[in-house]
Amino acid sequence: MIDRIAAFGRLGLDIVSSFGRSGRFLAGVLGGVPRPATGFPLLMKQIYAVGVLSLAIVVVSGLFIGMVLGLQGYTILSDYGSEAAIGQMIALTLVRELGPVVTALLFAGRAGSALTAEIGLMKATEQLSSMEMMGVDPLRRVIAPRLWAGFIAMPVLAVIFSVVGIWGGMLVGVDWLGVFEGSFWGNMQSSVDFVDDVLNGVIKSVVFGFVCAWIAVYQGYDCVPTSAGISSATTKTVVYSSLAVLGLDFVLTAVMFGDF
Amino acid sequence: MNSPAYISLKDVVFSRSGRRIFDGVSLDIPRGKITAIMGPSGTGKTTLLRLIGGQLRPDSGSVVVDGHEVPKLKRKALYSLREKMGMLFQSGALFTDLSVFENVAFPLRVHTKLPEDMIRDVVLMKLEAVGLRGARQLMPSELSGGMTRRVALARSIALDPELIMYDEPFAGQDPIAMGVLVKLIRDLNSSMGLTSVLVSHDVPESLSICHYACIISDGKVIGEGTPEELRAHPSGKVQQFLQGQPDGPVPFHYPAEGAASDFGLSGGAS
Repeated sequence: MIDRIAAFGRLGLDIVSSFGRSGRFLAGVLGGVPRPATGFPLLMKQIYAVGVLSLAIVVVSGLFIGMVLGLQGYTILSDYGSEAAIGQMIALTLVRELGPVVTALLFAGRAGSALTAEIGLMKATEQLSSMEMMGVDPLRRVIAPRLWAGFIAMPVLAVIFSVVGIWGGMLVGVDWLGVFEGSFWGNMQSSVDFVDDVLNGVIKSVVFGFVCAWIAVYQGYDCVPTSAGISSATTKTVVYSSLAVLGLDFVLTAVMFGDF
Repeated sequence: MNSPAYISLKDVVFSRSGRRIFDGVSLDIPRGKITAIMGPSGTGKTTLLRLIGGQLRPDSGSVVVDGHEVPKLKRKALYSLREKMGMLFQSGALFTDLSVFENVAFPLRVHTKLPEDMIRDVVLMKLEAVGLRGARQLMPSELSGGMTRRVALARSIALDPELIMYDEPFAGQDPIAMGVLVKLIRDLNSSMGLTSVLVSHDVPESLSICHYACIISDGKVIGEGTPEELRAHPSGKVQQFLQGQPDGPVPFHYPAEGAASDFGLSGGAS
């Protein structure tokens, strides 16, 4: 019994100390003022790696999710004879929820895991150490551009996801199932509010992007530099990011849309 | 400032995850010479280099490099001190996403504002010094182990440091690569006037090039002096290490309970 209490206490201590370390880590990463001349090319390279290379999976997923929404929405709404509302249903679902959340989950799986593995391997092969010994702070040279890249790329990806999703929903709803195009777009325009819906969705994706990138680079930097350590860090990145995204989504939704 | 000792460690105590790695190590590393630090695996030789480079802080004691008390330096001062240090890691630690040329150019690009054609000249000179000018376009994955270390060596001397630290430079090298490295370490030391610290457990190679050597075991310095002094050292541990005897003051057997009870021979006297 005492053992269990002690183990529980140790678990608590581990969690708190891990939060503390990641916080100090974040302060170290964001503390430095980047020099534009060296920082900009590094940032561009990382935005390409985490953002542009994630485009394919984001576009394809967005298209299919939009098309599924079109089908499901049509089946449900046609029971009530209101299939003309399908445009606003698809747009609101995507812009408010599915766009930011699904993109963040895809981002954690596609880009976050890659970031963790890359940084972990750099640590295991002493590349980070050797950089430090050359008088270059790896937090600023290696970690900071990756963190900022995730932060910048994620909202853009989420917007692209929503746009492609709406287009996919239109393909199914209008072109295939024959909903009148005017009411599809018209209903959408009259019901989707820029600040309440679009902007709140973007804010969500900014938060998710930051959290996913933070978890990914921290797990890579903090991992045990062995093959088992890197594999466990990569798994943790995906699991923690997904949980954090879903949990934060609830909190953010409650704050944004919860004032009844 | 210009004291004969470039690095001076005094009563350094360091423990990691509950294990005491150094228990009062004091050591002077003379300026402009090659000093070998030897000892059995796992005695924290690499840790010693990290203490000198300020990547780790001792629990107590002082680490002075070129007049600077390393553990007390502020971040910025520490990073500028490190520009005067080069370190050759055991794995080479080349940046795998950069070519040989870009690896050697990396410290120059970060720390100097040299124009591109000057960087090119410096990089080619450094690569020429290690005999790899022709390999500049290769990627690190295309290099053999010995070549990797030579490129890493070129990179660590790119900024013309005052101090260079070699972490196990001979481990896992074939005889030719080893010979090349021995020659390079000796030549660099004499031509550039570097202070060199060499951490190794390859006794003959290390003793053949160093001016001073020091043997660390169980967290303490057990013998130091010139190679000749060490060979004549009275300590049994030093002799066992230098001659590579399997059993002696450092026992062959890891401490264990009595063999009789372990093998289940109850009542058997052992």
